[in-house]
Amino acid sequence: MAGSTSSWSRALVQISPYTFAAIGIAIAIGVSVLGAAWGIYITGSSLIGAAIKAPRITSKNLISVIFCEAVAIYGVIVAIILQTKLESVPSSVMYAPEALRAGYAIFASGIIVGFANLVCGICVGIIGSSCALSDAQNSSLFVKILVIEIFGSALGLFGVIVGIIMSGQITWPSNAA
Amino acid sequence: MSSSFSGDETAPFFGFLGAAAALVFSCMGAAYGTAKSGVGVASMGVMRPELVMKSIVPVVMAGVLGIYGLIIAVIISTGINPKAKSYYLFDGYAHLSSGLACGLAGLSAGMAIGIVGDAGVRANAQQPKLFVGMILILIFAEALALYGLISKFKFDHLENGCCTAFLWWLLCTDCRIRKGFLADNKGCDAFHLSTAVLCRYNSLELLYLFHLFAVGLCVLIPPISSFYATILRYIF
Repeated sequence: MAGSTSSWSRALVQISPYTFAAIGIAIAIGVSVLGAAWGIYITGSSLIGAAIKAPRITSKNLISVIFCEAVAIYGVIVAIILQTKLESVPSSVMYAPEALRAGYAIFASGIIVGFANLVCGICVGIIGSSCALSDAQNSSLFVKILVIEIFGSALGLFGVIVGIIMSGQITWPSNAA
Repeated sequence: MSSSFSGDETAPFFGFLGAAAALVFSCMGAAYGTAKSGVGVASMGVMRPELVMKSIVPVVMAGVLGIYGLIIAVIISTGINPKAKSYYLFDGYAHLSSGLACGLAGLSAGMAIGIVGDAGVRANAQQPKLFVGMILILIFAEALALYGLISKFKFDHLENGCCTAFLWWLLCTDCRIRKGFLADNKGCDAFHLSTAVLCRYNSLELLYLFHLFAVGLCVLIPPISSFYATILRYIF
């Protein structure tokens, strides 16, 4: 009773940091790819439907699909970076504060990258589908709507930036400790 | 575990989750705003292609929300450094709450900007006089995100209070000046104002330009000065 007895902390400190790290890496790549796929199917279905009457739009509007794919690649890159930050520490220091902090940092970094790329992919997909539909009616609109799509794809970059900054401070305790 | 267990080693969990919440929810709001108003711009552009570039304003305002979340997430995650300064559970919970505050404020602002931007650009295509009204509503929606951002910084400087008070007065007089413009059937958007001032030196347009400049200063000074104060505190 003298010290603080937060029950969240008592539960959290029993969980291995490697659990959090592994789940973080999985979310980084899995949810990013989900966002990319979501965007690609939104854009692709509109693109194919609009191209029935205006086949000229197909090759130009593939760039919207490529913007969505880039989101998945961001997730792969960050997952590889996080996975190289995993180190094996002996079980005597596995629950040391530094090791716990490293596990939480990988987890949070994975969540940031995964969910930022998820929403970015959906956003770029929706705008890409509007781009295809309006390009089919008036070809001068393609470049203008592409500007909006570039604003949308910046969101995935924000997630990657924060994920990489956070992964820079991941240090595991040295084996001598 | 003995009774001296303090739980401070799990504090980074809440801190990092705060940084994650700040960025993820702000990005959700930015994505919603960009997508919803982008669809409106694309639909409107089929009929009026010349208005598309002017109607990208809601998209830019939604994108700024992502930057707010990025700033807060970076500030939080670089503040979690138990080697430099001991990191208690208090700090963890504080970072979680400020991250959630900024993130959810950004989410709500993004939803507002998206829906208003979509309706606004479609209406602007049919009635050009609505452009200034749409911008005003978008600014109020953007202010919601600013509330979340500024709650991380502190309003403890004199210039912030003065700017806020002056801004309220300026916004109240804004309506009166605008009615004067509409009564004379003059346009009060930037294009008409700048041509009137440059060609005719009409006093009402000049006054309104100074008025807009003062509004811009009052909106920008508090966050910039709070931002610099916080950054300087972290550096030194």
